Amino acid sequence: MKELSLNILDIAKNSVKAGATLIEIIIEDAGNRRTLTIKDNGCGMDEEFLSVVTDPFTTTRTTRSVGMGLPLLKLAAEQTGGSLGITSSTGADHGTTVTATFFTDHLDCVPLGDYAGTMSTLVQGSPDIDFDFIYRTDSGLKYLSTAEMREILGDVPLDTPDVLLWIEDSLNAPPEEES
Amino acid sequence: MTASEVASLLSLKSICVPAPEREVLGGYTGDLLSWVMGRAKPDDAWITIMSNQNIAAVAMLTDVSMVILAENVAPDAGVAELCEAKSINLFSSELPAYELCVKLEKLI
Repeated sequence: MKELSLNILDIAKNSVKAGATLIEIIIEDAGNRRTLTIKDNGCGMDEEFLSVVTDPFTTTRTTRSVGMGLPLLKLAAEQTGGSLGITSSTGADHGTTVTATFFTDHLDCVPLGDYAGTMSTLVQGSPDIDFDFIYRTDSGLKYLSTAEMREILGDVPLDTPDVLLWIEDSLNAPPEEES
Repeated sequence: MTASEVASLLSLKSICVPAPEREVLGGYTGDLLSWVMGRAKPDDAWITIMSNQNIAAVAMLTDVSMVILAENVAPDAGVAELCEAKSINLFSSELPAYELCVKLEKLI
C-alpha cells in the first residue's frame, strides 16, 4: 500500500466482517515511532487461526485462497524496522487487537495518507457500527467518536452526505492542543 | 515463448520451475506488492526485488507466468518450497530490474 490509511481501511473491514459493534483506531506518533492500533469487539480468532493469520495463504474470503490485509500491514511495518502484533479472544471478552509499529524516519516508511477519507469511507460503509478514532502527535490530538456523534445527531443516519463531509473536514482540521 | 525459454535466453538462475511450459506474453516490474496486485497481468513475467512469501501470494493472485528476482536477491527461507507447491516459476538474475525489462522486451 502506498498509504498506511489504505492498510487501516483493509484491517478495519476485517473487523466489520467479524461482526464488531465498536472499532477503535488509534495512531500515536512519538518521535520517530508510530504505533497503529486497531481494536474490535468482533468474534475474534481461535489460536490456530491466529497463528497463521499473517500467512498470505490464509483468509476468510471464499473467492481466493490468499488474504493480503494483515500480510501487507506486517510487511509495511517490518520494512521500517517495526513489527506487527495480534491478540485475539473468542471468549466472553471476544475481539481482536492489531498493533503495528513503524519507524517514520526509515526511507521505506509509507506516509499515513488520507486517514480522514478512510474514516469517512468506513462510516459510510458501516453507519451502524461505532468507530473511535484517535490520532495523537507531539503537536496535539485528533479525535472522532461516532457514539458521541449519534447522541448529538439523534435520528440522522451517519452515512448522510453532510455528516460524512463533516467527518472528513473535522479530521483534516488542525489538531486540538492537549491540556 | 515459455518461461523456461525466457529463462534460458536471459541466463536466469532457476530457483524452482514447477511450470516450465507457462507462456510469457508480457512483463511487469514493481516492488510495492499491493500495487503489483492490481496491475500485473496474467502471463506476465514479474520482475521484483522483494523476496518474502507475499510474492508467492501476489504471483498467484495475478497469475503471472514467472517471477524474476533482480540484482541477485535471494528468496527468504521457505519461499522456494512455497512457490514449488503453488506452481509458481521462480528465477533470479544478477541484472537490475531495468536491464531485465529491456532484454525481456526484445524477446516477446
